[in-house]
Amino acid sequence: MHPELAAQLTVDGLLLGGVFALAALGLNVIFGVTRIVNLAHGEIIVLAALCAAVVFQRFGITPIELLPAEFIAGALLGAILERLVFRRLPPDPAGAETTSLLLAFGVAYFIVGFSLAVFTGDFRSVAYLTSSWQLGPISVGQSRFVAFVAALAIAGALAVLLRSTALGRGLRAASQNVEGARACGIDIGRMRTISFALGSGVAAAAGGLVSMIYAVNPDSGSQLTLLAFSVVALGGLGSYAGTLIGAAILGVAVSFGGFLGSAQIGQLIPYVIFIAVLLFRPSGILGKSAT
Amino acid sequence: MTDRRIAASVAILALCAILPPLGSGYVQSVFYIAVLYIALAYGWNVIAGYGGYLSFGQVTFFGIGAYAVALGVTQLHLPWLLCAFAGGAIAAVLAVPLGYLMLRLRGPFFALGMLGLAQTTRIAAEAAPFTGGSAGIYLPPGSNTLPAYYWTLAVLALAMGMTLWVDRSTFGLRLRALRADERAAGTLGVDVTRFKVMAFVISAIVPGLLGGGYAWYLTYVDPASVFSTHIELQTVAMVILGGVGTYWGPFVGGALMSQVSQSLGARFPQGHLMIFGGLIVALLIALPRGIVPALTAALARRSARA
Repeated sequence: MHPELAAQLTVDGLLLGGVFALAALGLNVIFGVTRIVNLAHGEIIVLAALCAAVVFQRFGITPIELLPAEFIAGALLGAILERLVFRRLPPDPAGAETTSLLLAFGVAYFIVGFSLAVFTGDFRSVAYLTSSWQLGPISVGQSRFVAFVAALAIAGALAVLLRSTALGRGLRAASQNVEGARACGIDIGRMRTISFALGSGVAAAAGGLVSMIYAVNPDSGSQLTLLAFSVVALGGLGSYAGTLIGAAILGVAVSFGGFLGSAQIGQLIPYVIFIAVLLFRPSGILGKSAT
Repeated sequence: MTDRRIAASVAILALCAILPPLGSGYVQSVFYIAVLYIALAYGWNVIAGYGGYLSFGQVTFFGIGAYAVALGVTQLHLPWLLCAFAGGAIAAVLAVPLGYLMLRLRGPFFALGMLGLAQTTRIAAEAAPFTGGSAGIYLPPGSNTLPAYYWTLAVLALAMGMTLWVDRSTFGLRLRALRADERAAGTLGVDVTRFKVMAFVISAIVPGLLGGGYAWYLTYVDPASVFSTHIELQTVAMVILGGVGTYWGPFVGGALMSQVSQSLGARFPQGHLMIFGGLIVALLIALPRGIVPALTAALARRSARA
């Protein structure tokens, strides 16, 4: 392969990785605190992307301007889901895992059906910043670059929140040791609601950025769920730096796969990586804990 | 208890065999769809209900069965029944290595892995040179409802028979032991992997056999409809409604819900997914064990009082 082409594909892939990372971080926050694997994560991302596309088309509000609203709406949805649905789990851990998976499956297809009723099955995206900058031999798509920068900014804000605020300490404590956190006076129920709100808010923000890069329809949700999970599988569950590196690797893999094979092969890459990592290196490339 | 279950099953299956030819074409397809989903529910119940491995991708094998008939009839000019058998056999053969691979994944990762598998096979069926792509394959037109129906009814009888066997055999006991605690079951000498794969193969044969009947019934196959997660969603909802891991659960859930599904689907097609998704959530919250265990418990309470 021509080195300039390889460099181009790598840059494209790294820019994609920013949004992938954001999608996976939301998943990680929810799993860390609640131990719930939210299969409906991709559907939330897609719902947000479809909203961004329609809002841009109708009112000319760009996905970047819409980000705060997307985050708040996603957070509200997440909080409602936790309070209404995911709080009702049986007390034994095996039963809770099974029930939470089935609940998430039901929620996912509820959202798919809702999106189909509201947005139809059409593929939608936002035609915003469609030109590109030329840096020597490499062209940088403006929409991809802006999405990348926005994704990193949100990921950075999330890191600051988790590291340096009282709320972040509460969330981290709840994800490390539930009994210990409770003994220190942390309201675990509240932390679970907040983690769902935060994770879904981040997912919705990621969805807004996805609309600038990909065309999605209501059925794209499970693909984005798999994508977020393959990032998490690569980086290891619960590892913040791992998620960023996993997302970069996946972005580059998708970029190369889509170019060398076909769009369909590009679609399959997250799944292939997901299975391969879980079978051969279940703790992730950088992760500490096996699942 | 077992004798009564066999007698009741035979009686119900016999009724299902006698009634449809007496009705109109509409009645026949109502029966076909009901029996199809009940049988799919029995198939899913073995690996998910008894084995505790939630699969969101058994529809993969349904699609493979459907393509076996579509391709066998149009390309190789074989009789459809033979191809439908072959579809079940192919599903079983594929399920062995797939089971060994996938069942190494635990809990949520298995569920996701299977969901992805169904998507992968759908994309493969769209891309492969011999499947007609996303346009699909048309079979010779004809009125095939009754032949497809009897095939599906025979598969249902097989699925119920296998479930009864799982329910009362030591195989089923071991399966439930590994559902309760896989590590403990392994320590006590249960060959965990072998039994998991066996359950997975049973749960693959049933949709594999059913897919061929569906292709013959519709006389049309395309990737979006036979690898559809909607089929998976309905199957899962039916087992939850009836009772996961019970003998009568798939029957009760499937019979009730396929009627709801058919009347809703005609009037309100977009809302279909919303209603099934919402129903799964509502059932898990309000009636987590399903109708059959709830009824059994109520009956036991009444007889204890009397």
